[in-house]
Amino acid sequence: MMDFGTPVLEPGSANGTKQVPQFNPYQDNGGTVASIAGDDYVIVAADTRFTLGYSIPTRKISRVLKINDKVMLGTAGMQADTCALHKVISTRMRMYEHDNNKRMTFNAVSQMLSTVLYYKRFFPYYTFNIVAGLDDKGEGWVCGYDAIGSFEQRKIVCNGAGTKLMQPVFDNQVDWAQSWDGAGKPNLSLEQATDLMKDAFTSAAEREITVGDTLQIYKITKDGIQLEEFELKKD
Amino acid sequence: MESMSERSGGFSFDNVARNHVLEEKGMKMPKAAKTGTTIVGVVYKDGVVLGADTRATSETTVFEKYCEKIHYIAPNIYCCGAGTAADTEHTTAMIASKLELHRLDTGRQSRVTTCLTMLKRHLFQYQGHVSAALVLGGVDLHGPHLYTVYPHGSTDALPFVTMGSGSLAAMAVFESKYKDDMTLEEGKQIVYEAISAGIYNDMGSGGNVNLCVITKDKTEMLKGYAKENMRPWRKSTPYTFPKTEVLTSKIDKPRTDISVVVESEKMEVSAS
Amino acid sequence: MDVMEAGGMDWMQNEHMLGTSIMAVVYDGGVVLGADSRTTTGSYIANRVSDKISPITEKIFCCRSGSAADTQAISDYVRYYISMHSLEIGEEPKVATVGKMFRLICYRNKANLLAGIICAGYDKHDGGQVYNITLGGSILKQPFAISGSGSSYIYGFCDSNFKEGMGRDEAEQFVIRALALAMSRDGSSGGVIRTVTINESGVDRKYYSGKDIPGFYEGW
Repeated sequence: MMDFGTPVLEPGSANGTKQVPQFNPYQDNGGTVASIAGDDYVIVAADTRFTLGYSIPTRKISRVLKINDKVMLGTAGMQADTCALHKVISTRMRMYEHDNNKRMTFNAVSQMLSTVLYYKRFFPYYTFNIVAGLDDKGEGWVCGYDAIGSFEQRKIVCNGAGTKLMQPVFDNQVDWAQSWDGAGKPNLSLEQATDLMKDAFTSAAEREITVGDTLQIYKITKDGIQLEEFELKKD
Repeated sequence: MESMSERSGGFSFDNVARNHVLEEKGMKMPKAAKTGTTIVGVVYKDGVVLGADTRATSETTVFEKYCEKIHYIAPNIYCCGAGTAADTEHTTAMIASKLELHRLDTGRQSRVTTCLTMLKRHLFQYQGHVSAALVLGGVDLHGPHLYTVYPHGSTDALPFVTMGSGSLAAMAVFESKYKDDMTLEEGKQIVYEAISAGIYNDMGSGGNVNLCVITKDKTEMLKGYAKENMRPWRKSTPYTFPKTEVLTSKIDKPRTDISVVVESEKMEVSAS
Repeated sequence: MDVMEAGGMDWMQNEHMLGTSIMAVVYDGGVVLGADSRTTTGSYIANRVSDKISPITEKIFCCRSGSAADTQAISDYVRYYISMHSLEIGEEPKVATVGKMFRLICYRNKANLLAGIICAGYDKHDGGQVYNITLGGSILKQPFAISGSGSSYIYGFCDSNFKEGMGRDEAEQFVIRALALAMSRDGSSGGVIRTVTINESGVDRKYYSGKDIPGFYEGW
């Protein structure tokens, strides 16, 4: 804002003490992914709001990648890195199938994602992932990751912008976390899990501004994958 | 020191130096609630329509879903606030109080320009540190008035104004649809559309649309003029929670073998 | 990541700037003041029809550039002090007095102010005069003055087209053409052109928008 054409020397610029803002390769595009695993199913849910600062460039973006009809990958964080990561995972998955002449199992996918993420340890993908799927016995599982490939296999995971609001609810309702011996822990049916997921996202949309628009719920069972779309608030 | 600063009025700067040192040593200071907001105002044929959304946020968390951002200044003057919630609330309340006393003194209706001057003087004094971005509207003996007041103390007088993080979305509506001498219905409609543009396209804004219509003879607050963003869905089955199991129990009964005896004493009633 | 930072919301916190083109010219019998009408915060146009020519007395006006808050406050103070001064002397103040009052405030508070002001008007002692008060608090009595971010584009035009002792219409045209050129090259100037013409017989305000703003070569 050099209004009067008066030359002004940047204070400290000559001796290099002033820090000039650098290009920032990262961007937060919001998004929340969550998954509930049961005895014979697993559901993967992700909202479709794509954010940039306080704006919403699009209300309909998919954050979920179908690996095969037993395993899915959900990614929150930066959209460009999500695309890059999904492309790497798809390629590696197809190479695995040709090399080994079989589909990747849930365990294989979860391990592979960890190595792919850790490969970029010092310039990470700005992504927060979950891998959900059915194991060899048909039981549902889900793995939650940090940006550089540390992961843990659980029955319930959520990742991304709405985590702080939703994770405690899931811990309480699915893992029965407050109960010291787990007595009376409910075994949620697919319908109950779906309802809980909808309620958690609806509540998160009330209090977290980056959550909203549409919720995509993928239901993975032995019969394949089914998608249900559920409307969230648009404000 | 304490009592002196209390008596002299104004802000307390007691901890400024201490906080500066703490901040330099790496302490994170608490964040104030910023109302990432859409607030607007428009002049129509018979007066002024003010509008606001109802969301207050801190970073990406919604602090308050249905808050009121159209503040009372005087019966014929209202003011929408954006920026730091505490600053907008206290600044408008302070000016409202001063104007009330001024009215009691003079017995005359408050003027919008008086309010504008008081606001800009206050904000200029604090050099933008009191971050209140305001839309001031009212009707007085000179007719309808509409102003924006920026945190540094500059003001603009315009027939339609917007403020806050949703101001660009709202201004887009005004720039395409505003016309001079609108009717009351047209005025309310354009303000509703402008606020809605903010609510849906700016994540800092959300919730309901609140309106305030000020005319020569009366002021009308239309709280919840549009309620399009109430909770859309709720799980039909109730929630159950883990119960904390009782491991052992022991009951101590209160002792009954103590009795308190009050002995009454004779008191001297009259001075002897 | 901070959403304010990521979304480029700097314009909300930034100070209001009059990234401006303003000028004033002495002509035979009075002065013409001119200004564009754009007020910006960052790249957002906060007001596209601003009035940057503020009255100080009946026949003395000022053009404001720099921080909107600072220049509004300064002109409010000057208006107040000069009205008091005018009561004390029992007549209309001189343009030189008003110019010096601006200079005093700008000089004494130069560490805290961002203001470039052109003060111009008419008094019965010295006729039409233009005073340019710079950022640091200098005062320059000039036959014409230009200031603001857009002024750097029109030094050449003004130097080659200004003539001493112009007529009223000629001076107004000079101002309008100069401002039109400045507004077309300077991104933070624009909107309409406002002029105030002051002479012995009174004050005349005009504004020019759209097709009334002269066009020049726009091939590239």
